[in-house]
Formats: sequence, C-alpha cells, structure tokens
Amino acid sequence: MSLADWLILVLKVGIPVAALLSAAGLLSWVERRGAGLIQDRPGPNRVGPAGLLQPLADAVKFFFKEDIVPSHADRFLYILAPAIALFSALTTFAVIPYGASLPVAGRDETIIGANVSIGLLYIFALTSLSVYGIVLAGWSSNNKFSLMGGLRSSAQIISYELAMTTAAAGVILAAGSFRLTDIVALQSGTWLGFIPRWNLLPQLAGFLVFFISTFAETNRVPFDLPEAEAELVAGYHTEYSSSMKFAMFFMAEYVNMTVASALTVTLYLGGWTLPGFHPQGVVGGILSIVIFAAKTSFILWVFVWVRWTLPRFRYDQLMRIGWKVLLPLALANLLWVAGLVTLKWI
Amino acid sequence: MTLSRLVFDAAAAFTVFFATVMVVHRHPVKSVLALVVSFFGLAVCYVLLFAPFIAAIQVIVYAGAILVLFLFVLMLLNIPEEARERDPRPVQRFLSGAAILVFAAALLGLLRAHGAPQAPASGPPSPDIAPLARSLFSSGLLPFEALSVLLLAALVGAYVLAQREGAR
Repeated sequence: MSLADWLILVLKVGIPVAALLSAAGLLSWVERRGAGLIQDRPGPNRVGPAGLLQPLADAVKFFFKEDIVPSHADRFLYILAPAIALFSALTTFAVIPYGASLPVAGRDETIIGANVSIGLLYIFALTSLSVYGIVLAGWSSNNKFSLMGGLRSSAQIISYELAMTTAAAGVILAAGSFRLTDIVALQSGTWLGFIPRWNLLPQLAGFLVFFISTFAETNRVPFDLPEAEAELVAGYHTEYSSSMKFAMFFMAEYVNMTVASALTVTLYLGGWTLPGFHPQGVVGGILSIVIFAAKTSFILWVFVWVRWTLPRFRYDQLMRIGWKVLLPLALANLLWVAGLVTLKWI
Repeated sequence: MTLSRLVFDAAAAFTVFFATVMVVHRHPVKSVLALVVSFFGLAVCYVLLFAPFIAAIQVIVYAGAILVLFLFVLMLLNIPEEARERDPRPVQRFLSGAAILVFAAALLGLLRAHGAPQAPASGPPSPDIAPLARSLFSSGLLPFEALSVLLLAALVGAYVLAQREGAR
C-alpha cells in the first residue's frame, strides 16, 4: 500500500469515529432540549448560544471528577466494562457505507470503512458483544441493583436480537448479499417514477420489528429496564458515580443510538440514495454524505421523541412483545419477502 | 513470514492461552470470560483462514449468545470462587500432567508424519457466502436438518431431566 492509500484509509476510518463521538455530545444536548420542548420548559440554555456548549462543560466536569472504584467491586472488570461498551459501539460503524463515492487520487473511492462480504453479520457479531459491557458492569459492581440491571439487560438483548436478525434477514434475502453497499444499491431508483425503491415499503412489517428491536438493543425508553431509575436506582451503572467511566457508558449509549439509526437508514430507508439523485464528482460525494446524515438525524430525533413520550414497559410485557409479537411478525415478514423474491417482484 | 501469518500465530497463541486460563481459573465467572476472549481469538484465526462467515457465526452464536446465557446462570446462582482443596491429589495431578504431555507428543508426531494440510493450489477461496449457502442447502441439507432434530431432542431431554420428581 502506498502512502496515499494509508492516508485514505485513516481518513475513512477516522472521520466516522470523530463524527460519532461529536454526535454523542451533540445528542446529549438535543435530548435535553428535546425533553424541554416536549415538556414545555426551556432545557439547558445558559452555556453558549442556545445552550450548545453544555456538552463541552459536562465533558470538562467529567474529566475533573474524582475517579472512585468501590472497595467491594471487582477492580479489573469494573474498569474494563465501560471500555467494552464504548469499543463495541464505535467499531460497529466500520462496515456502514455513509456516502456514495469520492474521486480521490485518480479513482472512485467508496465511502465506507471496510467493505467486507459479511458486512451485516459483522454488525450483529459486535452488537451481540455489547451486552458484555453492561453485564460485567452489573456483576463487577457487586451491588444488587447493578446485578439486576445486568441480568435484565442480557435477557432483553438476547430476546430482541432474535427478532432483529430475523427482520434483517428479509433485507438480506431481497438483496442476496450481506454487503451493505449491495443493500444500498438495491434500494436506488424508483417504482412508477416517483416512489423510492426503499425496503421500507415492501417490508413495512420487517422495518417495524427492526426499529422497535433497536430500541431494546440500545436500552432506550420504553425498553430501558436495565437502568430503570424508579426500581433499580440506575441499574447496571449505579456504582459508576459520575466519573469518566460513567461518561463512557453515556457516550456508548448515544453512539449505539447513532449506529442503530445509521443501520436503519441503510437497511430500510435507502442509505445515502434519494430518488433522482445521481452523485457525481466531489460535490455529489459530499452531498450523498449529507443526505445520509440527514436521514440518520431524523431517526435519532425519533429516538429522543419516543423517550419523552412513552412510559417504560413492565418486564412481562417486554418479554411478551419480544417473543409473541415481534418474532412471529418477523418470521411472517421473511415469508412475505421470500414470496416477493420468488415472484421476482423486487 | 508475512504480516497475516504473524497475526495468525499471535491469535492462535492468544486462543490457547485464554483457553488455559478458562480451565485453571478458580472463579467461574472469570472462566467464562476467558472463554469469550478465547473464542474471539479463534474468530480472528477463521478470518485469516479466509472464512469470515464462520468467524462471524462463531462470535454471534458462541461469544454473543451461548456464553451470555452461561454468564446469566452463573450470576443468578452467584457461585463464589472455588476454594483450593486441602488435598491436592498428587497422583491424579501427576497422571493428568503426563496425559497432556502424551497427547501433545501424539499430536506433534502425527503432524510431523503426515504434514499439515497443503493450501489449495487455486489460491485462497473467495470470501463470498453464496457457495457455502448453496452447498448447505443441497449436499449438506440432510446432515444439517438431522443435526437440528438432534438439538431439539437434547432440548426436550434437558427439560424432562430438569423436572422435579412428582411434578409431572
């Protein structure tokens, strides 16, 4: 590999990581201002214009807090747990194509970290590891509330992973590939000249199952039972008093949310494509990234919107929805897509 | 020695090391965690052997699902660290050590006599999943389905065995 190749690789990997981490900060602001909007109050509006510098102030605060490890905790695992959570959140993005292509050094460079043949499986493998961060935090804290949070989380994530992967299998079936660039390519173009060929339309049930499952996988309301503050103090991160380690869990949640939104956009909302948009040259490449970011931001806003609108599920309701509603629906969707593919309708 | 060979050897050593940790560690939760790390190293080996699909499945099924369930049960039962036994059973310990050495020697001898399998002359297989899927749904269909029935039988068997006497 030449120096230019290395440089391109570093940029293709580095830019999304930087973007994800900044998005995490920005999202904490959006979340609090969004909560304010929905609850008819201002939200944080003092630090900087419209309170935009609040995340920065929070970050500085986190860095200067005393770092406490409880004496009864398992020291090694207690420190490792937030690192696992943030690691699995950040690395998942590597195979998501976040733009069309850019002409660099005389050739078209696809805008994706690594275009591997098992793209979607790689994502599922890493998200299935993210549960270790939460479970280990719960167990190593040596606290009953933390342990309950960790146990709830592992049961919840395993249950919803099944529905999520089965729903995504419909997309794989339609595209005939695990490669996310192939899945995006399938969704370019239109039906009847104006309806975008997004997977959302033929696989509406699959989309709903997948989208609901991402809420459960990221432990967001209404599936935030692992940290249910009314029952479990703060769940798995009860013992992580507000030091940088807590901030890592906090960032991991927002990064996970961003990756889940990006994945939803890629699988069901056409990725960076838009009807009538044929990216060309540098401007087209940058525009495709902007379109992708705009779609992802919309889904992220839905995450915030839902959080401040819906109450939390009870544990039995959570399990019933996962196993008795979402999983059969995902299987029915798979059958439906198989029929569509056999009849060559998509 | 190429870079990928170096990474492969490191991952293999890593896998064996953490498998050993899994056996010798006295804390059940940490044993499971060592096994997770070991499986991860194994997945890296699979990737370098041009089998990314197997690697992903290895992580999703074993590290991501089965071992999480192990961890779930261990945490629920809250098994403490095993105490070191007062009687270290010197004879058994010696015999097990000897058995490991004999097995390692046999393995090495076999490898020396027959050599490691040669890489196919046609170069590395394509990383595509389609050929694998095709063979899984044609020539491999019967064994695959038979295996799933076997797993179902094991599941039902476990359920029956776990039932208390008189509960039926």
